[in-house]
Amino acid sequence: MEPEQAASTETESGIDLLVIVLDTNPSQHIVRQNPQNLTQILEAVIAFGNAHLMQKAQNKLAVISCAHHATNFLYPQPRRQVELRQIDGQYEAFSLVEKTVKQQLGSILMNAPRLGSPCESLLAGSMAMALCYISRLQRNVAAGVKMHSRILVLTGSNECSSQYMTFMNVFFTAQKLGITIDTCALDKTLSLLQQGCDITTGQFLKVTQLDGLLQYLLWVFLPAPQMRHKLVLPPPPKVDYRASCFCHRELIDIGYVCSVCLSVFCKYSPICTTCHTIFKTPGPLPVKGKKKKKDKQM
Amino acid sequence: MAMADTKSGRYASAGSSNSVVPLVQGPANLECKDFQEYLRTRQTAETLEKLYNYPPICLAVFRELPELARQFIIRILFVDQPVPQAVVTSWGAQRFAKEQTEATSCLSDLNVWRVTAIPGGLSAWELSPTFKKSVRQVLLGGGKPWPMTNTLEKDSKPRDIAFLDSYAMSRWRCVLHYMVGTGNRNGTDAEAISPDAVRILLHANLMKRDERDGITITRQGFQFLLLDTRAQVWHFMLQYLDTCEERGVSLPECLSMLFQLSFSTLGRDYSSEGMNSQMLSFLQHLREFGLVFQRKRKEGRFYPTRLALNVTSKEAATTMTVSDEEAMQDSGYIVVETNYRVYAYTDSPLQVAVLGLFTELLYRFPNLVVGVLTRDSVRQALRGGITAEQIVSYLQQYAHPNMKLVESAIQSKSCLPPTVVDQIKLWEMERNRFTYTEGVVYNQFLSQNDFVTLRDYAQSIHVLVWQNERTRTMVVQKHGHDDVKRYWKKYSKGGG
Repeated sequence: MEPEQAASTETESGIDLLVIVLDTNPSQHIVRQNPQNLTQILEAVIAFGNAHLMQKAQNKLAVISCAHHATNFLYPQPRRQVELRQIDGQYEAFSLVEKTVKQQLGSILMNAPRLGSPCESLLAGSMAMALCYISRLQRNVAAGVKMHSRILVLTGSNECSSQYMTFMNVFFTAQKLGITIDTCALDKTLSLLQQGCDITTGQFLKVTQLDGLLQYLLWVFLPAPQMRHKLVLPPPPKVDYRASCFCHRELIDIGYVCSVCLSVFCKYSPICTTCHTIFKTPGPLPVKGKKKKKDKQM
Repeated sequence: MAMADTKSGRYASAGSSNSVVPLVQGPANLECKDFQEYLRTRQTAETLEKLYNYPPICLAVFRELPELARQFIIRILFVDQPVPQAVVTSWGAQRFAKEQTEATSCLSDLNVWRVTAIPGGLSAWELSPTFKKSVRQVLLGGGKPWPMTNTLEKDSKPRDIAFLDSYAMSRWRCVLHYMVGTGNRNGTDAEAISPDAVRILLHANLMKRDERDGITITRQGFQFLLLDTRAQVWHFMLQYLDTCEERGVSLPECLSMLFQLSFSTLGRDYSSEGMNSQMLSFLQHLREFGLVFQRKRKEGRFYPTRLALNVTSKEAATTMTVSDEEAMQDSGYIVVETNYRVYAYTDSPLQVAVLGLFTELLYRFPNLVVGVLTRDSVRQALRGGITAEQIVSYLQQYAHPNMKLVESAIQSKSCLPPTVVDQIKLWEMERNRFTYTEGVVYNQFLSQNDFVTLRDYAQSIHVLVWQNERTRTMVVQKHGHDDVKRYWKKYSKGGG
């Protein structure tokens, strides 16, 4: 019992950093359906972020917006501090989060280039940026202080297998740094992100009703990863671990793997496009083998 | 022979209990309560409810709750009906049932939630409506603004954080200097503290009046000096709040203001407009202790200092980021070597006096004091009621920045040499070689048989502490005394 208690006091005293990656791409299905949805999601995210800050005085929060053309920090904005006085009884630090996020997002959406056809969001890039931010803060932490970091991705975008490589790099980096990745899918089940959550022991949740979004967030994603085993949370879904091929970005069950760099291809090619290794033509070998087998049988 | 039983009175309850008591209870030590304990011991359900009308207090209470309890609160914060107890229980994992019980009982103790009956004969938890309303307001807004947040025109001479830090520390040191009596000797007026502050020190037992009607520091006072600044401020403020009601000042208002300060932003100015006279005098006291900075008494503008921020949180102090650390740079001045030598780069009589509590001072230079930790010096401190933990944490807290850069310091949690830490703890442990058990002595048995029977019985029910066959003496734990006595009566009746 005692080591457990010691561990719990340790988590109590450390810093918890939560980085929220919010998909603000206007071509998301749910946003196109009803632009009001984005506002609703934003309100829920802000309330959730504040609930995280409310847990402990030393907790930290960052919000990153991810669109089809750029990734921006919504909070914190150390350079452009919003001058504000409390007006409605909300804790000052919380109002600061709310005001900053809304203001930043507003200006980003206004300045975004018009897009003709729906584009996919640069989720993997945003997550990589979150990782960079986390590692920078980690370096500034005083000696002897533990910092636990995690990333929460909120997205209504579709699967984006074109970013497969970046995603995998992000997942394994996160795993190595001990950063948990949680995902809240608002529209479709995302098998890639599901893999990422599984690798980093995070939670994956698909929310079907936007009305209860905040409650879902508070239930599943608010508890720090170190204390999740003390709570009953939704069981992990069956994860689809299929890889996507490097040539057409499609998910495949069986494919060719480069023996040098482990790149996956759905069709045979004589030169690996990733590491430029030249393979011998596989043509005659299987034929020979077949013949031998036949010979033996005869 | 049968008669002899009664005559000799087998058991002589040599009241070992009486003689042991003073040994077990050491002289009263400094008792530091955290906020949760304070609320539990000092407040009743009704007064708690009154406190929950103030959103800052609710936020502070919320952060003091156990981790699991905080999750429960958040989950039912936006639920308007009572939630059945069975449902709440199902949220926690079975393996941690004990922790969950602790969390639920803590919430009930603090009157944050209470049991209500819901249709269907089930009992349910319902958040205290005032608490719920206040926490929601803190989180989402939608209420009246907190006092002191009135907009002010821009300060023509805004104070930066470095200034506020040095101001706060110098004010707080005044109080500490007064305690060790170094303030008075210098004789400057700036060093004196107000009668109110003295009253609080006396009330808190940190100082006492001596025979010549002077004021001297007590044992608790010395222990107080060994605490880190944050803990000192918190303890001091709790004592201050204790005297609040005597002075006819409303406790909830003071507490609310204290927490509001603790949740404010460093380096920003706040307005004292609209405060009543009691709160204004409270503000003046805070100003004296260095929790707020105010240029002039009548000015409607003040700056909270680092002392006031996060007063309840023990951990926040240790988790400051690098930039904050630089601001508090002056705090580290002690170097401890593996040969038990202690070098303190200081000229402050206060720091030397504190160091002298547990080290043998060898040399003193204008900016450096050299001492050595010896068994005798540490034992003297331990006898004075200071614990090894306090000594170690003091040395650690004021460790010179260079101590923290040693490789072993970066890898382990403490920057002190492990040998020294262990030795200090061992010196403490060697004082605790006795464990005291209250017991009853049985002697003057008439026959060896009687003795053996009774001893074996006592052994079989695991209450025997000690026995000696030759002198036919045995000691039985106090709670087992009744059992053994009963057995003896039965035995002597039947056997004799």
